[in-house]
Amino acid sequence: MASKAKIMVVEDNLDEAKLIKMVLEGEGYEAVCAFNGKEALERLEGEGPQLIVLDVMMPEMDGFAFCTKLRESPGHKDVPVVFLTGVAKHIQDTRYPLDGVMRADVDDYLEKPVKPEDLLKTIARLLE
Amino acid sequence: MMERQTPRLNCWEVMECGLGPEAAEPCPVSADTASNGTNGGTNGGRLCWAVAGTLSGAEVLAGCAQTTNCLTCDFFNRVKSEEGMSFQLLKLARGISSSRRLHETISQVESLMAIHDRLRSHFDLDATIREITEEARKVTGARRSVVLLVKGKPPALHGEFLLRGKPKKVVIRIDEESASGYAALHDQIMNLRDIYDARQANGAPVFDRSLDRQYRCRTHSFLAVPIHDSEGRVIGVITTANAKKGFFSSDDEWFMKNYATELALAVEKQKFMQQSISALRLASIGDTIAALSHCIKNIAQALRSGSHVVKRALETNQIQDVRVAWEILDRHIERLADLSMDVLVYDPEVRERFKEASLNGVVEHVMGLFREEARARAIQMHFRRGPRVDPAKFNAMGIYRCLVNLISNALDACPLSEGVVTVCTARTGEKEFMVSVTDNGRGMDELTRSAVFELFRTSKPHKGTGLGLSTVAGIVSRHNGRVEIESEIGQGTTFRIVIREDIAVV
Repeated sequence: MASKAKIMVVEDNLDEAKLIKMVLEGEGYEAVCAFNGKEALERLEGEGPQLIVLDVMMPEMDGFAFCTKLRESPGHKDVPVVFLTGVAKHIQDTRYPLDGVMRADVDDYLEKPVKPEDLLKTIARLLE
Repeated sequence: MMERQTPRLNCWEVMECGLGPEAAEPCPVSADTASNGTNGGTNGGRLCWAVAGTLSGAEVLAGCAQTTNCLTCDFFNRVKSEEGMSFQLLKLARGISSSRRLHETISQVESLMAIHDRLRSHFDLDATIREITEEARKVTGARRSVVLLVKGKPPALHGEFLLRGKPKKVVIRIDEESASGYAALHDQIMNLRDIYDARQANGAPVFDRSLDRQYRCRTHSFLAVPIHDSEGRVIGVITTANAKKGFFSSDDEWFMKNYATELALAVEKQKFMQQSISALRLASIGDTIAALSHCIKNIAQALRSGSHVVKRALETNQIQDVRVAWEILDRHIERLADLSMDVLVYDPEVRERFKEASLNGVVEHVMGLFREEARARAIQMHFRRGPRVDPAKFNAMGIYRCLVNLISNALDACPLSEGVVTVCTARTGEKEFMVSVTDNGRGMDELTRSAVFELFRTSKPHKGTGLGLSTVAGIVSRHNGRVEIESEIGQGTTFRIVIREDIAVV
């Protein structure tokens, strides 16, 4: 049942991570937070999430690098990933070019600020 | 001491002009006894380029009439090669300074060398043009000199010159009405003894007097040399007018051609620099807009999620969730206000107020804003309150903005564990105080340190906007203060802002 699924929120902003966790828990999901890609990767085995909500710009290991590692990991390569990022679609950013976001092997892409209802709908769809 | 093996021939022996010392009317060089012995020659025989009337003064030195530039003449190079390290270009040391022309020659060569050096060291085109203009005027012994560059649509010659000590802008059409326009149009050097004389050399027409009437001056002798870019296109004209000696010589033409080359180089360098700077700046601004947008989106995301959580928690009577979400919402509203202030500080219309306030009070307030974040990231925050600091006279909002930026940066720089941020205040003089923020983070190298105040520059690709430290620099400079940075890789960083109370700019 979808409402019992475990979701990992990978987000370097503590406040944002905490709020998304609360939004997910309010919907009945179990949610855990990791604060960058490196920490998420280390906790992947122990936590065994069924879906990952992933930020792009993070210190230590960003969302792209995490995603690449995840897809190489035999036990977790099929875990659905939703990018939740502030990387803009229409603004040229030499640090994080959007074509990188588009090329990444993720299941959906949501641009901040997303309505929590839309995030929940996307998660529910991917978990079906 | 070794005897010289090769005979030292004098110029009249090599050039075979027949104007040696024995001639009925010897050339000034062979008569210049003051130069005797220089470079092993008789009289000025091996220093002819530096003797009165030379540097190719063809009208004076008939025997050298074919020489257009002494410094490229075969004889000059021969003497230079024969003398090696002992070669004397000019003869200052032996006091041969009686000749006025010698002095002029020295100053001409020196000025060219000086301009070349300056061109190597900076790229301020306007300053370079002013320098070259002034040098050209002095070197040619003229009353005025103007550099005109092709600009605008339709293209015209634009320049500036000093008239009776005041700068005057001049715009000249590229046509046959004026000598400058003619030189640019036909890509031709114009060397005229009298600009309004109908019997001109070069087949030039009689020029229009309107410019002289406009500037209430009278042009007599005039020299205009086209300036070419690397593809040979005329990009301007360097002119010099009213020679004190009544005309411009071929020496003057030679120098002006060199100045034209230096100007062309300067223009090209400037163009290249502008293109590079503009590209860099556009990239930086693009990054900043993206970073600002990213920052605002993150805040908006927190506001949306927060209000969702609060609404739901109220419906289900989860008061603890309301409290947690409300605190986060509060912080993000504050972040939004901070960000707006960073942008607003760049508005020159924003006026700041300087008045007595409590510096320690401002520090405590700002530290309070970050206490929760520091606790969540296990970073210790300390405040070393300086005695006799309060009251201080400063712009409280400005210093508040500086501290928000510096403390926020310090927290971000802290290591993942055992981070420490220390804020200190101290009175450093009767009318001077300082506040410093120190972290124990990764520190900065020299390159990073030198660029930290650059607008739109950020070292935090995942979250910085590139506005923060530029904001700090702007605020501190408006206090006529200074920002000092101490940083070492692996040892952390201290930002210290020093403010003078008595000379605060309102």
